[in-house]
Amino acid sequence: MSQPKIIRRPDGTILIERFSPFRRVEHLLVIAGFTLLVLTGFPQKFYEASWAASVLQFFGGLDRARTLHRVVGIIFSVQAVIHIAIIAVGILSSKMRLTLLPTSQDFRDVFATLSYYFGYTKEHPRYPKFDYRQKFEYLGMVLGGLVMVFSGLALLYPGFITSFLPGQIIPAARLAHSNEALLAFCVLVVWHVYGSHLSPEVFPMDKSMFTGYLTLDYLKEHHNLEYRRLFPKEAAADDAAKAATGKEH
Amino acid sequence: MTRNLYTIPRTIEILCFAAGMSCAFITFPEKAGAEQPKAATEATEACLECHAEKGESITFADKTSKSVQVDRKSWLSSVHGGKLACTDCHREISGYPHRKVKFQDAREYTLARGNTCQRCHYAQYTRALDSTHYEILKAGVREAPICVDCHGAHAIQNPKTPRLSINEKCATCHGSITDEFKLSVHGKALLQNNPDAPACTDCHGAHAIPSPSGAEFRLNSYKLCAECHSNEEKMKKYGLNTDVLVTYLDDFHGASNRLYALGAGRPEKPIATCNDCHGVHNIQSFKDKDPKMAREKVVKSCQKCHLGVTPAFADAWLSHYPPSLKTAPLVWAIKVAYTILIPLIMVGLVLHILLHLWRLRSHR
Repeated sequence: MSQPKIIRRPDGTILIERFSPFRRVEHLLVIAGFTLLVLTGFPQKFYEASWAASVLQFFGGLDRARTLHRVVGIIFSVQAVIHIAIIAVGILSSKMRLTLLPTSQDFRDVFATLSYYFGYTKEHPRYPKFDYRQKFEYLGMVLGGLVMVFSGLALLYPGFITSFLPGQIIPAARLAHSNEALLAFCVLVVWHVYGSHLSPEVFPMDKSMFTGYLTLDYLKEHHNLEYRRLFPKEAAADDAAKAATGKEH
Repeated sequence: MTRNLYTIPRTIEILCFAAGMSCAFITFPEKAGAEQPKAATEATEACLECHAEKGESITFADKTSKSVQVDRKSWLSSVHGGKLACTDCHREISGYPHRKVKFQDAREYTLARGNTCQRCHYAQYTRALDSTHYEILKAGVREAPICVDCHGAHAIQNPKTPRLSINEKCATCHGSITDEFKLSVHGKALLQNNPDAPACTDCHGAHAIPSPSGAEFRLNSYKLCAECHSNEEKMKKYGLNTDVLVTYLDDFHGASNRLYALGAGRPEKPIATCNDCHGVHNIQSFKDKDPKMAREKVVKSCQKCHLGVTPAFADAWLSHYPPSLKTAPLVWAIKVAYTILIPLIMVGLVLHILLHLWRLRSHR
């Protein structure tokens, strides 16, 4: 099992690595790719809108925007293949901890969190390295990405696809590509922007995706199970102290 | 020379005009304006005194000659008859004998007087200057039509009736296309005087006729078809599908075409539009045809641009009907799934966020 890097600074703060440099580069590539794909794709989806033609003109017309969309799409697809291949190798060599894989605990966490929000329970549930909200977003990204990659390929090579599949695949791929894009965009704007920027817990920005590190305090507060896994002694001491103060009252 | 201006016919004309005007003022002073045409008629009579006679002709510099006879009856029954005087258009003529002018031939005279109609029909004249006809005229094609070539000179009738006469005018030059059109579904209906059937000008315009081989015309041509074919009231009469426009635009070709038409650059390759599958002047109805045969035509239409594709490729085109469970179950299912999924997920996520904020507000 891999252990994350832990940096102890001279001033006493402890930083725990959350994202390896490779993951940080992956995220930067996704930002660039997603932005370009949305900018060149949405005007094609919303062809009725008045802004559609102006945005396409910015890219030098519909034909150039399409070429760019395809090139970026292929880069995005290659990235997706590499991402999944690394996971596959990680599973086969059992060297990877699947911290983003949803478990039954995540479903229980959903209900525990909601009942905490409604005030039925006093204790906030403790989350692992990635909470269910983050797992939902990641899984949506990967599964949605796969939908986009396969429907995109069908739209890029319709002649080849229909040489062995029925013709209905093409309009189906077109609908899936266009709707999945809209869904991904909406989730990004609402869920990701809230979770990583607007939420009072992280406002104005959760920088760990760019710096790669979380502080010990943040880890303890928001990903308590991971904190307990990495710092079992400190966690036990915390619990003992808490129990003591509980008795005093 | 000055004496020439007051020739006998001119004097008669002036006298008649004066008589007419005073008559009008004395008897029906309030209808003075309405009586004016009468004066025009009388002024015209003065010209017709000579020009109604047979045998009068003028000779041009190239020794060709042309009769200058005007048929009184057809002039009077024309739209201008009784309303305009000869000199309203023939402004260069103000007396007899007429001032001599030199023209190479009759066409040169016609072209030189080409802007005559502009004085009253300014809008139509100006639109015609934008037309492909004027463009080729400028390029030196003397046969390119100007006003009188389509409307006539002295026997001008309402150009809109009968509608079939519009096509006859175009047929003067565009004979083979007009013949082809007569055999089409639209042409047959027009021959039966169907007011819904398009005449040439309904698609091409009457005055500002753009070049149909230009990119602009091609990109916007689907709108011409859509004007009638998405009109529910009109299509109901013939049991025709009005989803044709929406289904075209919802498809790859239509969406692209519309974006190009809105100014998103120029297409590198031509994008299929209505006439690429349905034909242009030779459009036939598919209504009573065997659906299998129609499908074969779709395959052939696809193969025009997409070389060597299979019939399965052509099945990607779901015809001009929205996907249904019966016709395209996979497409339908995806459409329905996302229509439910997107709002469901988004509402769930927004509620979760609002709950989180509410909890933070009320418990901290």
